[in-house]
Amino acid sequence: MLRKMRNKLLPVCLLLAVLYSCSPRNISTKYYFENEKVLDRIEESYKALYPLGPFNIGFTDRAFKTVSLEIITDTLSYIYEFRINEPRLTDTLLAYNLNARKINLLINQMHDIRCTWINYADYYVDEKKHNLILMSIKPVALKAPFSYAKYYVLTYFPQPQYFDNEGRLLDRRKLRELMQINGEVFHRINSKVCYTVSGHFR
Amino acid sequence: MKLYAIIPYPTRLRLVILGCCLFVTYVATAITEVVSGPVTSTTAQAMAYLDKITDLKSSAHWPNIKSEMFLENLKNNVSKPMSLYAGKGTNFCGYGALTYLFLQDDPLGYATLLMQLYLDGKATFRTTTFDPSVPIKQEAGQLKYKGILDINPAEQMWYLTLADHYKGYLNIFNLTYDPGDENKFWASVNYAKFNRMARHLLHYEGKAWGADVMRPKVGDLYDYISDKMATGTVVLFINNRIVHKKDHIQIKLGVPTHFVVAERISRVNDVITLVYWDYGRKTQLQMSAAFFKRIVFGISQFTKKEPDAKKNAK
Repeated sequence: MLRKMRNKLLPVCLLLAVLYSCSPRNISTKYYFENEKVLDRIEESYKALYPLGPFNIGFTDRAFKTVSLEIITDTLSYIYEFRINEPRLTDTLLAYNLNARKINLLINQMHDIRCTWINYADYYVDEKKHNLILMSIKPVALKAPFSYAKYYVLTYFPQPQYFDNEGRLLDRRKLRELMQINGEVFHRINSKVCYTVSGHFR
Repeated sequence: MKLYAIIPYPTRLRLVILGCCLFVTYVATAITEVVSGPVTSTTAQAMAYLDKITDLKSSAHWPNIKSEMFLENLKNNVSKPMSLYAGKGTNFCGYGALTYLFLQDDPLGYATLLMQLYLDGKATFRTTTFDPSVPIKQEAGQLKYKGILDINPAEQMWYLTLADHYKGYLNIFNLTYDPGDENKFWASVNYAKFNRMARHLLHYEGKAWGADVMRPKVGDLYDYISDKMATGTVVLFINNRIVHKKDHIQIKLGVPTHFVVAERISRVNDVITLVYWDYGRKTQLQMSAAFFKRIVFGISQFTKKEPDAKKNAK
């Protein structure tokens, strides 16, 4: 009787173990450290290129072949879509006096790690404006069942942040209130980098 | 047990109203005729009015609004309407587009209305009296994580007041404000509601084509919109979920979610270039004619009716 039950329970337990290993929560705890160098390199490249001419980059299709490029000028924001490595993409970057070679390199780095989106976002603390870099990744493991629409979202702050005992990002103003970015609560990776798992990449 | 016995009376009534609204929206395409009001004002008049206010005291009606920030926000909106920002993640875009038109047409009317609302806790503009509820007055000035809207209390007060005052069928399941409702159906604006607000607040003659669930049948969409833009200001009601993708879900509900003010439009071969205003800036978007047709659900044209404008049109 016990053996029969064990035989039935074993596949169920195995299945649960596989699903857990692919679950967004589990991936979140390890993902950053496993890919830290690549992720930080993308962040550093973007941070260096952005002051030369503000822009956001994303991949708008599941196959990671369509690049969405938003170029921000004083008067207008320009939204373009290109196929990855399409000559028009480089021509457009050059037309806006952007560093086409480095931005193409950044796009390829993002493509390789399935980074869906990167942008600068602003937020306000004590009526003062602050900036952070927001980066979303769609790891392969997050394609597991029940996690189709999930993205691993990282925020890079320029200065150390405050967290509660559970490692949740706090609003600096009151130190007890959870801070929200795009409606999500973020968790500590280190003092300047946080993550969340979200249904939206931006 | 019968269904009507399970559903309590108020919900039953709301369901019936919702059904009727959806039906009317579905069958109607060209609906609204907006009546214009008196002659409008200039930015200089509005700034002169605001510059005279030197010692603005805090308002007991709006306990969380700092008077100096309120006045600064008002002046900034009047002098730079383009900088209006309806907030990240909110459902205030319809109110933002409306206010953008309001500021271009009657900045003095906007300034006096908001000052009256701030000082008296309620205000009347033309035939509409705004008397915001207590939760609105508590919340204004406290909205957070909405980008620059966080530090713009006059805009917070105005958008919350508009959402509190005007109701459409999207709002009937959430009629009273609770914190966080600015992101939910409480603040949503359906197409008919947008045109109703415009009719009440703007000194424009307006016409609207489209609906919440059906695209306008106007022949060549590009030609039609270009024509309307040549003679007036055009607001487009678009499906923003496929313009600004936030996920990779392939099957999406084809419904409009966003109001933008069209600024320029051109077509080369099959590529349409649209410049529009929303969220504090102008954006240029290039797309195919097929994609353009897919995203546009409503076209509202506003023309000034006073003698000068008519002369210019001729």
